[in-house]
Amino acid sequence: MREVKLLPRYRIQYCKRGPASYISHLDLVRTLDRAFRRAALPIAYSEGFNPHPRFSFAAPLPVGVEGLAEVLDVEMQEPIAHQELAERLNAALPPGLAVLEVSDVQDNTPAPMAELDEAGYIVHLDEHDLPGPLPDGAARDFLSEEHIEVTRKGKDGREKIRDIRPGIVKLDVLSQVSGLTMQMKLKSGSAMNVRPEDVVEAFFHHAGMAVDKADLQIIRTGLF
Amino acid sequence: MEKQLEKILRRVQKPGRYSGGEWNSICKDWKSIDVKMAFAFPDVYEVGMSHLGLQILYSMVNSRDDALMERVFAPWPDMEQQMRNNGLPLFSLESRRPLRDFNIIGFTLQYELSFTNIVNMLDLGGIPLHSAERMEGDYPLVVAGGPCAFNPEPIAEFIDVFAIGEGEELLTDLLDAYLASRRGGESRQDMLLRLAGIEGIYIPALYRVEYNSLGTINTVTPLSQGVPARVQKRAVTNVDAAVFPTRMVVPAIEAVHDRAMLEVQRGCTRGCRFCQAGIIYRPVREKEPDTLLHQASNLLGSTGWEEISLTSLSTSDFSQVTPLVHELINKHGSAGVNVSLPSLRVDAFSVDLAKEVQQVRRSSLTFAPEAGTQRLRDVINKGVTEDDLMAAVEAAFMAGWHSIKLYFMIGLPTETDEDLQGIANLARKVLERGRRLVRAKGRLKVTVSVSSFVPKSHTVFQWEPQNSIAELKRKQALLRELLRNRGLVFKWHDPEGSFLEAVLSRGDRRLAGAIEAAWRNGARFDGWSEFFDLSKWTRAFASSGIAPEWYAYKQYSYEDTLPWDHISTGVSKNFLVREHRRSLEGAITPDCRDGRCQGCGLCVTLEAKPYFAGGETVASLSNTVL
Repeated sequence: MREVKLLPRYRIQYCKRGPASYISHLDLVRTLDRAFRRAALPIAYSEGFNPHPRFSFAAPLPVGVEGLAEVLDVEMQEPIAHQELAERLNAALPPGLAVLEVSDVQDNTPAPMAELDEAGYIVHLDEHDLPGPLPDGAARDFLSEEHIEVTRKGKDGREKIRDIRPGIVKLDVLSQVSGLTMQMKLKSGSAMNVRPEDVVEAFFHHAGMAVDKADLQIIRTGLF
Repeated sequence: MEKQLEKILRRVQKPGRYSGGEWNSICKDWKSIDVKMAFAFPDVYEVGMSHLGLQILYSMVNSRDDALMERVFAPWPDMEQQMRNNGLPLFSLESRRPLRDFNIIGFTLQYELSFTNIVNMLDLGGIPLHSAERMEGDYPLVVAGGPCAFNPEPIAEFIDVFAIGEGEELLTDLLDAYLASRRGGESRQDMLLRLAGIEGIYIPALYRVEYNSLGTINTVTPLSQGVPARVQKRAVTNVDAAVFPTRMVVPAIEAVHDRAMLEVQRGCTRGCRFCQAGIIYRPVREKEPDTLLHQASNLLGSTGWEEISLTSLSTSDFSQVTPLVHELINKHGSAGVNVSLPSLRVDAFSVDLAKEVQQVRRSSLTFAPEAGTQRLRDVINKGVTEDDLMAAVEAAFMAGWHSIKLYFMIGLPTETDEDLQGIANLARKVLERGRRLVRAKGRLKVTVSVSSFVPKSHTVFQWEPQNSIAELKRKQALLRELLRNRGLVFKWHDPEGSFLEAVLSRGDRRLAGAIEAAWRNGARFDGWSEFFDLSKWTRAFASSGIAPEWYAYKQYSYEDTLPWDHISTGVSKNFLVREHRRSLEGAITPDCRDGRCQGCGLCVTLEAKPYFAGGETVASLSNTVL
């Protein structure tokens, strides 16, 4: 049996906006590791020949989606004051990435990916990208469906049909003034993960219209 | 533009290539700066961000109060499509301004197969393609430098100003002169004349080229007073004291070489006769270990990179490499920083070094004997023997590596099938040795990677023809046959790309039309096998009346004026002729590092001298001996 040393663990709430929203999840790991190095904040690494930083993320943010309050757990080699961690890391982060809050993580707290299983989104579609006006009560009609099936190509290239209705917790049309703005709460994380663009596409499909997913401006507002 | 750009970025692969905002990138206040320069890399972001020259010049220009430098890369074809469909001009990463808004666009010419990307970037940037069309209308000054500027002729029509040689001091002079010219309200023509007076600056429009009836060059004549008949390259006299960035831009998406680059020395005097870098970066100038350690600490601290690479043309030749590696591991190893060494020499010493820096033998070790027989290795002056190679691979197998890569070149001058047989013999010998020494026999692998010889300007082999595509294919097929064996892997490059490289690297001004036509036919990213299509070029050559074979297959004579003869590397043509003769006799020429000057003529032409850490120098032969 190897002795397991418990290292101090912190939960970092951060935003990923502007140019940083185009950093992929894999590149984000590298970016954060380097930011900790620049800030001379020693984080813990996995053992073995190819050590990697002991980060634990919530569901990865897709490329191009802005995150207002993302979550990352990090293990440090030594305890550090929350304020100091936030300040030193902020001074070493590229534009668009910023620490909002640091808190302690109890030893028995599950990883963010398992603990935080819902995500909030705001989706905006510009007026000239809207295929047409939505009928009254479109959101209610959509949510009254028992099953909402979407097809998506799997990693093997084959199309898979999936029911995403259980993953839609909430969906509201916030505004139809100068484009369309929607708010959603969707399942995210290791148990079930629903993509906002799939929901919006299905929503328009249900109303008899088609949208180009690439026109959607998506912001993840938080993880719950 | 922001809104439109965001819309586009949601539709392309890897939008991080275009979004900017990287750590250490510098975005200056546009309005308060006198001269705005864009560093244009004619390849994709991940390749361009691996280039040390970009980092050096970027940091240097941005440290001036009166100048700024921003970056622009060739957009990947999906991005180009989106930009053209939406009328979005090519823009810089920092301020997202169109290329057209800059005062100076500086292209770096790292390989000939990026020429169509240069044309494409000018076009996407809304800049007229030809220098002659930019004389009126306050267009940016289009400058180009880098290794391919040593034969600038094929792209002379597209470029206003070539910068020949090392950029640190030359670019400073260029910016100063540009500012002086603007302040004086000079016309474009007067500005070009002023710039032509700077050592290392070549302005093709100020020369007239005349040809012989057989197609070779007759004369290249300056058209005005004060324009040099021969342009001398620039070399930094004191590399140790030269500007070196303490901060480098850390790429947002993983670059090809995503690590700190520490240049330990410049130049290589081993004298391989096919090698252009070995001539154009002469003399060897080492940096002092103290300087390097200091620069390494700064770089690692300011970037957070977890790896530092000791770069140069031949790092195992750096006289202080062992103590430097030790010291770097001592200082930074505990923070999890790895040291890496590219370009290892073929010997046991180099394997020992690799052993120190690589705790895990996960990757393979690469050696480049270049030719299969001692005879041919002597012809190319590759100072490597079979014993050296066997000692190197033995040390590697004993140290725990089980995968070895061997690089060779085919189509070298005087090569026969016996030399190809020699490649196979060497590979088998290495495999044999591995069978005896490697415990995990199943993982033993010897890869033979073969490229095709391309004659390059300014080298000892500049006069030599390239093998025909058909002959190269025959040789590859023969090698494939000879290397059929368990544990041997054979890799080769398509000879079509090497053929085009030969045409462009030995080309003259008459190729401009063909380059433009190839671009109009859709040629882009010609260095990428997934995009390269020789038929686009074949049609372009035909429509512009060019016989490409003439350029690739021509055997020049010593008396011929070569298209690049008016550009000087500082190495005398007499030396190249003498070396070429010695090569055909199979006579080898030692490195001047060993203390004996070989009379290449450089030290008597340039101020820069060989320098070894600790202060040793080589006494150069006087003019009379040459």
